[in-house]
Amino acid sequence: MLLDLSEEHKEHLSFLPQVDSAVVAEFGRIAVEFLRRGSNPKIYEGAARKLNVSSDTVQHGVEGLTYLLTESSKLMISELDFQDSVFVLGFSEELNKLLLQLYLDNRKEIRTILSELAPDLPSYHSLEWRLDVQLASRSLRQQIKPAVTIKLHLNHSGGHNTSILQTDPATLLHLVQQLEQALEEMKTNHCRRVVRNIK
Amino acid sequence: MELSEYVQKGFQMLADPGSFDSNAFTLLLRAAFQSLLDAQADEAVLDHPDLKHIDPVVLKHCHTAAATYILEAGKHRADKSTLSTYLEDCKFDRERIELFCTEYQNNKNSLESLLGSIGRSLPHITDVSWRLEYQIKTNQLHKMYRPAYLVTLNVENADPRTYPKISFSCNMEQLQDLVGKLKDASKSLERATQL
Repeated sequence: MLLDLSEEHKEHLSFLPQVDSAVVAEFGRIAVEFLRRGSNPKIYEGAARKLNVSSDTVQHGVEGLTYLLTESSKLMISELDFQDSVFVLGFSEELNKLLLQLYLDNRKEIRTILSELAPDLPSYHSLEWRLDVQLASRSLRQQIKPAVTIKLHLNHSGGHNTSILQTDPATLLHLVQQLEQALEEMKTNHCRRVVRNIK
Repeated sequence: MELSEYVQKGFQMLADPGSFDSNAFTLLLRAAFQSLLDAQADEAVLDHPDLKHIDPVVLKHCHTAAATYILEAGKHRADKSTLSTYLEDCKFDRERIELFCTEYQNNKNSLESLLGSIGRSLPHITDVSWRLEYQIKTNQLHKMYRPAYLVTLNVENADPRTYPKISFSCNMEQLQDLVGKLKDASKSLERATQL
């Protein structure tokens, strides 16, 4: 599958052959850093001064490079497809090689970052548990009531959520049994067939 | 057990065969247990034809006294000798003491169950449901191909009207971690009960 690059995009990228490969590599590094932490316009100004061009040009160059990397990573295109897509830009072989290397080196991390943009449900982080026995309460003395107290740590939208819950021994066994069945499900023929055939 | 004068007075009236004959005594006693243990019971519990001849103020006093005492006894897990001692002090005759103790014994389990269920506790997990899905793509990321679980815990809260659910997603490793920890907890529980 080839990348579809718009005219505007190609125009932004046309800045890249005008600087040497060290600069392109640096732009690549900046692009990934911006994906990790968000963009920092000051960097554009600094680079623009050093290269003697407008800061807009630098910005477009970096953004064009970022879009190239993210689209390629999102679609998980093959090496060959990436090379073919970039070929239409008419860059030197050295630059094409550099871009391919940038793509392959950063693809995994970019995909991890992109996966964080998906509709977000709270996700499991960890669980702590404690065994308690209730011995008495205001309304009834001399009890022996075992309970398991659970602290469930969840992550949601960057934040951390903690729920404190309790359950009795019978329900605990039921929970374990049900969730073990859930794990077993992945090993069934049906699931294996789906995993094998959807690629 | 600390019991007020009001309770003692009520019991003394209950002990008197002149105020309560055998039949009325048994009815009032049953009414007291019923008021406490039967969820549908209301004021009509004292509306029995064989209790009509008794002054309603006296009836209410004795009913309240009996119910109060029953709750206190249940709370402290009073045994037969404790019950007998107190009833003797209130001038109950042997027959009435036996009747009370038998009725108490019959209702003891329900009473203790009721008392044990009163009180605040943490939200209580009652059930779990799960869903296994195979993620193929999102609009931001294609060719994902990974399994994921969505787990929902049904939780009961102190407030009977709210039944919150806690849902979260996890991958296989995380679910294995979760199950592993829960299994540790249940093994610990098993060991603790064998001590």
